[in-house]
Amino acid sequence: MIARRLALTAVLAVAATLSILSQGGGGNPTQPPQIQPVDPTHPTILPAKKPAPVLQVPQFPAAAPARPPSAARSPRNASYTITARLDPASRTLTGEELLTWRNRTSVPATSLRFHLYYNAWRNTRSSWMREAMLAHGPGIADRPGSDWGWIDVTSLKLVRSGAPVDVLSSLRFIAPDDGNAYDQTLAEVSLDTPVKPGETINVQVAWSSRIPRTFARTGTIGNYYFLAQWFPKISVFEETGWNSHQFHASTEFFSDFGVYDVRLTVPTGWIVGATGVERSPRRDEADRTTTHHYHAEDVHDFAWTTSPDFQERTERFGHPGLPPVAMRLLIQPEHWNQADRHFQAARAALKYYGEWFGPYPYPNLTIVDPAWQSGTGGMEYPTLITAGTQWIAPQRVADPEQVVVHEAGHQFWYGIVATNEFEHAWMDEGINTFATARTLDQFFGPQYYSKRYFGGFIPWVFTDLPMSRATDGNRLSYYRTAGGLDAQSEPTWRYWPGSGGVLTYAKTALWMHTLERMLGWETLQKILSTFFNRYAFSHPKPQDFFSVVNEVSGRDLTWFFDQVYRGSASFDYKVDIFTSERIEDRGRLSDAKGRVATRLMSDTYRTSVVVRREGEGVFPVDVRVVFEDKQEMRWQWDGKARWKLFEVERPTRAVSAQVDPDRILLLDTNYTNNSRTLKPRTRAASRTWSLAWLVWLQDHLLTYGFFI
Amino acid sequence: MSVLGAWRDGTRRVHAAPLLLLGMYALTLFVALPLSIALRGMIEAQLGDSLAAETIASGANLDWWQEFSAQAHGLATTFVPSLVGFGAVLENINGILENVPMAATIAGVTAAWMVIWSFLSGGVIDRYARQRPTRAYGFFAACGTHFWRFLRVGVLAWIVYWVLFAHVHGWIFDGFYPWITSDMTVERTAALVRLGCYAVFGVLLIASNIVFDYARVRIVVEDRHSAIGALVAGARFVRRHPATFRLYALNAIVFLVLAIAYAMLSPGPRGTAMIWLAILIGQLYILLRHYVKLLFYASQTAFFQAGLAHASYTAAPVVVWPDSPAAESIANASPEPRIEA
Repeated sequence: MIARRLALTAVLAVAATLSILSQGGGGNPTQPPQIQPVDPTHPTILPAKKPAPVLQVPQFPAAAPARPPSAARSPRNASYTITARLDPASRTLTGEELLTWRNRTSVPATSLRFHLYYNAWRNTRSSWMREAMLAHGPGIADRPGSDWGWIDVTSLKLVRSGAPVDVLSSLRFIAPDDGNAYDQTLAEVSLDTPVKPGETINVQVAWSSRIPRTFARTGTIGNYYFLAQWFPKISVFEETGWNSHQFHASTEFFSDFGVYDVRLTVPTGWIVGATGVERSPRRDEADRTTTHHYHAEDVHDFAWTTSPDFQERTERFGHPGLPPVAMRLLIQPEHWNQADRHFQAARAALKYYGEWFGPYPYPNLTIVDPAWQSGTGGMEYPTLITAGTQWIAPQRVADPEQVVVHEAGHQFWYGIVATNEFEHAWMDEGINTFATARTLDQFFGPQYYSKRYFGGFIPWVFTDLPMSRATDGNRLSYYRTAGGLDAQSEPTWRYWPGSGGVLTYAKTALWMHTLERMLGWETLQKILSTFFNRYAFSHPKPQDFFSVVNEVSGRDLTWFFDQVYRGSASFDYKVDIFTSERIEDRGRLSDAKGRVATRLMSDTYRTSVVVRREGEGVFPVDVRVVFEDKQEMRWQWDGKARWKLFEVERPTRAVSAQVDPDRILLLDTNYTNNSRTLKPRTRAASRTWSLAWLVWLQDHLLTYGFFI
Repeated sequence: MSVLGAWRDGTRRVHAAPLLLLGMYALTLFVALPLSIALRGMIEAQLGDSLAAETIASGANLDWWQEFSAQAHGLATTFVPSLVGFGAVLENINGILENVPMAATIAGVTAAWMVIWSFLSGGVIDRYARQRPTRAYGFFAACGTHFWRFLRVGVLAWIVYWVLFAHVHGWIFDGFYPWITSDMTVERTAALVRLGCYAVFGVLLIASNIVFDYARVRIVVEDRHSAIGALVAGARFVRRHPATFRLYALNAIVFLVLAIAYAMLSPGPRGTAMIWLAILIGQLYILLRHYVKLLFYASQTAFFQAGLAHASYTAAPVVVWPDSPAAESIANASPEPRIEA
């Protein structure tokens, strides 16, 4: 029996090898695979080799998919075949996976490393919890015992040739980032025989986990479950070794591409949404459960959700120049009237990101409206996103549109261009924040400032306070709070707790928009499109992006990235002195008729402008002066010195002076001091707004008059 | 007297004393104005000679406002975008219901205003109770007469309100509400629970407020000297006359109508003319809020005085000026005056 199985397996292996050899390696479907030279300073993963045949192993899910795989767009070096069963009564998940992993580098792998993310919430000793408590206070740990979650590996076997070898006993937790011996989010097993370059191995893993009440992004509330980072996931192996980090409070994730074939067993009648496409038929089990089969190719993660409460709706994205996408919305019943808004936002993301950067390559997209208080909203996974809205959602405020566009946009920046979110979170979050703001500007129309009252349930829209893409869309006010706490070039997981969001989202979006204003949208769009298409289905690093910027723009913008990326300096240019006075000469003088005079007034005005660099950041800026005759003059200043004087003599008086009048430098945190005028309306402005504030104070006093 | 009758009588009493209304409005204005002037200086300092002043002189500029807020300290931190138009009303009501702490400067001026208002409210209630002009001498005499009694009632009221806000509010909103909604997955249900919490807290607050209101009325009308006695008497009156809650509700509805009208009519700050119109309409709204506040006093006084003649009530003996409003009320009720001037 065993011999027959081995023989069959060998035949299948040869057939699969020949088949894949004839198709070629991974890469962008529209371009031949990119062969990158190995640069020791920026190691590049070697081009994909043919994936090894998947072995037929008893008791673990069959690895061969029912249909032949499509042409690989990615290296597919980390593929999973998973079966998992959810038990809502005990809030546990048990699963088994067959991991097929290929060493894509030129160095042997002497160990295997796995992420066990759920152990971040095993107890307060984990690095994640320690960092979260540092940033947000100890209250975050004030949870009942039933809230905590964990994952336990119950079986770990290597399958190379012959029978599986049990290596569970040599699995040990490691903490390469902070040495926290109690952190169990990263585990390593040493190999007696290293995995050679190009070699493929299979690993059988079984585990059981307790699903937490959500601490971050994954968990359960009531009978709503969102399962992310839920299975033991292999790290990324690079030329320099394992690029694997513990789970930190300020970071997200990083993994390799592969094929996911997943069977999920949940109670019958519960609706399931997951990465990839569901393959029929569903299988009803005898114990009133149903098994759903999902399949996804060229993705680097797999998330899923289930609940009996979802309402479901599907629509199709169509565009003359882009591939169609089947959109599926799983929405909470109380938000049913907002379904159209979710679809419109998803369409906008697929349209504009597709037109600007490159087509969305997957056939489907699932949008999940999370349950209230689930803590799982606003997150991205390959072909599946979580949005988030509220029961009362005014039309003139881009909620849920903003979150849907942002998370759908992550399919491009994170899902396809799979940057390392542990180390360079700005590359997906920042570029995506910039693109989200641009997309909303295109399709949503004017957005207005709003605030929520009475426990957050009642919104009020201030229709006289429109928001701007440049500052509000790119989150300038957020940037002001902590923009200088770290340099972006620091690995994200080492940012000061609580500053990660500012640096990854806001700072990047602001300097991306600054680039747009410097280079023009057409050039920036070409940069982003080139970067997207060149690095689709791979793991680019920051220098890759900077190189594309220089290449496409035709300029060396190293100085720019030295300021915004490698430094943490703040930017603030101001007009320090501004005068425009008639020239008056004194002393022993002669007038035009030769008469002696001690004082001569000229018809010419001398305009003097001193601009000062208040911040430590350096940026070239324009200086503009406007005259009473509506003429204007501009100078360009490299912005390096602490101050510079600009003077001009003209027959008309100047009215105003501005540094960076076009607001190219969006990182300038104090734009009010960028200008001065000789006819200020300061008194009028301060008078009217102090009187407007007076109404608030009078109303405040009368409100407290309730007590007397 | 019916609730509607008392309310109508109250409006009549307020209309009959327009100087009171203007005077109380002036009090609020003059207490608030110095801080407004201080804020004006802060805005001027931040703007300097900047071109930004041009845009905000004729409209709201959210970008500038957020920059201002990022640099603000002290009083300037209260100058936020959400105080535009009806947002100011929402901010203040939300501040009380959500127990939001006040900036120190605002707390100070609020306390000062409450003390001054307490001083003047004795004269206000006395004027409404007498239903005739009392002139400045009579008004301030009544203020002085009743202020220390009001202050003692105020201390007791402060203790009650402190218990409500420092403890009861926390029990309901930081204890009960999170506990009962912890496993809820439907926001609408949680919103209803929160509404219920507001109702429970609101009933406690309003019940306390009504008792203290009638305690003050009884201090003035019956010339009571004991604060505790007045409180007990006020509570007794409220217990015997549940219609006091209906009268309170009627006045509250008037306030709600006023607030809704302000929300609908207040123009946005678009252009210099509209900003000034918004300020004027804002001041009109403030004046009408004073009217509503005085209407509470006047209608409650009318309701109490109409309830004076009951089996257990014994009016104080006739006294010389300044005589009791109770005696005036009784005298006004009879065909022949019995007061000797």
